[in-house]
Amino acid sequence: MKKCLLYSLMAALALAFSACEEIPPVLNPNMGGNTGGPTDLENQQRQVLIEEFTGVRCVNCPAGAQAILSLRNIHGDRLIPVSIHAGFFAQPYTQSIENYATPDANAIQSYLGEPLGYPTAVVNRQQFAGEATLQVGQGSWAGYVADELTQAPRIKLAATHTYDPITRQLSGTLALHPQENITESDVRYTILLVQDHIQDYQLTPQGVNPVYDHRHVFRAALTSTSGTQIPEALNEGQVLSKNFSYTLPTNWLAENCYLVLFAHLNGDSKEVLQAIEVKVIE
Amino acid sequence: MKHFYSCLVCILLACWPSLQIAAQQGQSGNAGRISGSLETNGSFFMRDSLIGAANTPQYDRQLFGANAWLNLSYSNWGFDFGMRFDVFNNSNLLNPTSSYTDQGIGMWYARRQINKLNIWAGYIYDQIGSGIIFRAFEERPLLIDNALIGLRLRYELSPNWYVRAFTGRQKQQFDTYDPVIKGAAIDGFISGDSTSRWSLAPGFGVVGRTLDDATMNNLVATLNTYPKEDLFVPKYNVYAFSLYNTLVLGPVNWYVEGAYKTEEAMNNPLGVITRDSVSTVGDKYFSETGNMVYSSLSFAGGGWGVTLEGKRTENFSFRTRPQSQLNRGLINFLPPMTRVNTYRLNARYNAATQDLGELSFQADVRYAPSRKWSFNANYSFINDLNNVKLYREVFTEVSYKYQRKWTLTGGLQIQRYNQERYEFKPLVPIVETFIPYADFLYKIDRKKSVRFEAQCMLIGEDTKADAKQDYGNWVFGLVEFNLAPHWTFSLADMYNASPGKNSPSDDSGEKLALHYPRVDVFYNTGPNRFSMSYIKQVEGVVCTGGICRLEPAFSGVRMTVNSTF
Repeated sequence: MKKCLLYSLMAALALAFSACEEIPPVLNPNMGGNTGGPTDLENQQRQVLIEEFTGVRCVNCPAGAQAILSLRNIHGDRLIPVSIHAGFFAQPYTQSIENYATPDANAIQSYLGEPLGYPTAVVNRQQFAGEATLQVGQGSWAGYVADELTQAPRIKLAATHTYDPITRQLSGTLALHPQENITESDVRYTILLVQDHIQDYQLTPQGVNPVYDHRHVFRAALTSTSGTQIPEALNEGQVLSKNFSYTLPTNWLAENCYLVLFAHLNGDSKEVLQAIEVKVIE
Repeated sequence: MKHFYSCLVCILLACWPSLQIAAQQGQSGNAGRISGSLETNGSFFMRDSLIGAANTPQYDRQLFGANAWLNLSYSNWGFDFGMRFDVFNNSNLLNPTSSYTDQGIGMWYARRQINKLNIWAGYIYDQIGSGIIFRAFEERPLLIDNALIGLRLRYELSPNWYVRAFTGRQKQQFDTYDPVIKGAAIDGFISGDSTSRWSLAPGFGVVGRTLDDATMNNLVATLNTYPKEDLFVPKYNVYAFSLYNTLVLGPVNWYVEGAYKTEEAMNNPLGVITRDSVSTVGDKYFSETGNMVYSSLSFAGGGWGVTLEGKRTENFSFRTRPQSQLNRGLINFLPPMTRVNTYRLNARYNAATQDLGELSFQADVRYAPSRKWSFNANYSFINDLNNVKLYREVFTEVSYKYQRKWTLTGGLQIQRYNQERYEFKPLVPIVETFIPYADFLYKIDRKKSVRFEAQCMLIGEDTKADAKQDYGNWVFGLVEFNLAPHWTFSLADMYNASPGKNSPSDDSGEKLALHYPRVDVFYNTGPNRFSMSYIKQVEGVVCTGGICRLEPAFSGVRMTVNSTF
């Protein structure tokens, strides 16, 4: 009887684990491929914000920056990168030209949550299934970016601005075009100023590089770092306009500066609803 | 899920009066029995940017953090019930550079034996063999809690054979991962008659994991960005099989386990992806089968104790989802091949198990010719499968006990540690250490004793940096005074005698020879233990059971309270 039971169990186990045939997922290599420029408002698609957290003393972060450039090559302007110097690895060297780990940068990291390790990034401020925090490791960036790109934008954004090179005054308007009635109680918009191509010290696997090309460096928040709340109702078909202005410090190269503007939720979910990027000097 | 916990707590609270009555009945001789334990610690963080204890939420603004675990278990009516209340306030356990705050029921279970059938529902801690294909376990210092939330059935086929099967999902703090894990194992025990000196404990296990759709979609989306030559079609299901046996033959004990894992997607953190002639080093998925062999042979007798171990690992990363990194989502446990060092400097460099490729051996010999003398020698050898040196350790220890008055222990440790691989610090040289150490315990009388520790770490040169490797040379000293049965006082200092490449420096770039002092007071009273410590601790790698992570420096005051009841 016991042997009979044992053999039955073994047979059942063998059968259970022999059911190995499965229908595999379908790959679609190099999806995205939208490498063209920004589309007009009517045809605007979902664009994805990727906030990479980095530091000049983070030896593995140049690899992360390179991975983001690779993704940008695949998805074009639909992927909007911002490199935020913050946290443990962002203390500048004594020889560093500037400290990019500004209070605003650290405030954004505190708002979104500190990472477990570097390189790390937050994709559209989404907490994805299986992830403990908004911060995700490099291996997951491509997948989550692709996930987000498949969504339709719940809101579309447009920005107009002027820049006076004499006074270095930047002024503009962000227009929000809801594509549906957005009922979440706390919807915000955030405007960040980003400077591309800054040569400064960075720890790399080959040692400290004094002229490392820092890409998409977060410089300043033109709104609160956690965003400015939109008190008005966001109903489909309406257009809301928000003004902004900022004076660029003299040591920031305006030609390499960008505005990153996005609408997002606040609270348990901080999901980015839509993001756009515009050059300060078109 | 939180509703479920709320309901569970309500049920337990509703049952509490009857449980108390039952417990009282138990004290007077009836069936109920309740027991538990408390482990808690709190830290005041004192910013010290010089040693790197800064730029985390705890140092910058929170200033205080605490962790606590309260275990309760109750047995009655043939059932075993248990639950654990977990508290994490501004905790840096989950992520040493971050802050984690949450609380709730961290674990509960109900168990029942019905004739030969054992039913276990809730949070399951279990393992198959040595854990190579499955181990659901908890390591609080690293906040690893890989309980399987589900159901386990165990059936006794005969007094010496039983079979078990389980299914569930892995715990993720107060939530669960989505992929489903299931498994089964059969274990037995065979021996000769009552006079025989041999026995066998064979077993066979299998574990499967099925990815959920969201995880697979993310994986596919990532693969879609890969160059054609790196593409593969991932599988939803992976199976791992393990065959193991323990042979006892008189004083000889031989354990052997072989495991195989079907093809699945794994992450190589040092993978290379080349696009348009530009190579990126970092996370890269690949798909391979995995295998592993582990064996341990030990002998004890005649004052001798000898243990030989060997392990070969190839692509045996087994996680609940391939996106999980570091200590997250581990389904299995790979046994470490290094000794567990306890002295402060001896334990500074630890070799974490390498799940993608490792070839390792360890020999440990102990000899105690008399009650006065004992000797211990240990050798560890770890390479990767491309024959790259990862870790070497030679450890010796001699102990002499003079009557019951004093004991002197001393020895030497020599290490070679591949810091580049273990700590992801590219292009740093292999760390070379030479550590003599001594420990002297003197019993003043029946209640009082004093203990001294001294260690010195001499480290190799980083010729490229023209400096000592890593943090340079260290000296460590400790004085501990025991006043039995209640008090222990300890004073220690770790001094960076000859600073190295990574030692802190002042504004002029001059490397600083810093002290890292520590003062502890412990108080024991019955089942309660209290401690208070002032700590300055250098950055280092903290390991438990071969699982390690980099810990930033610590500066502050730490208190603990532990109790059992």
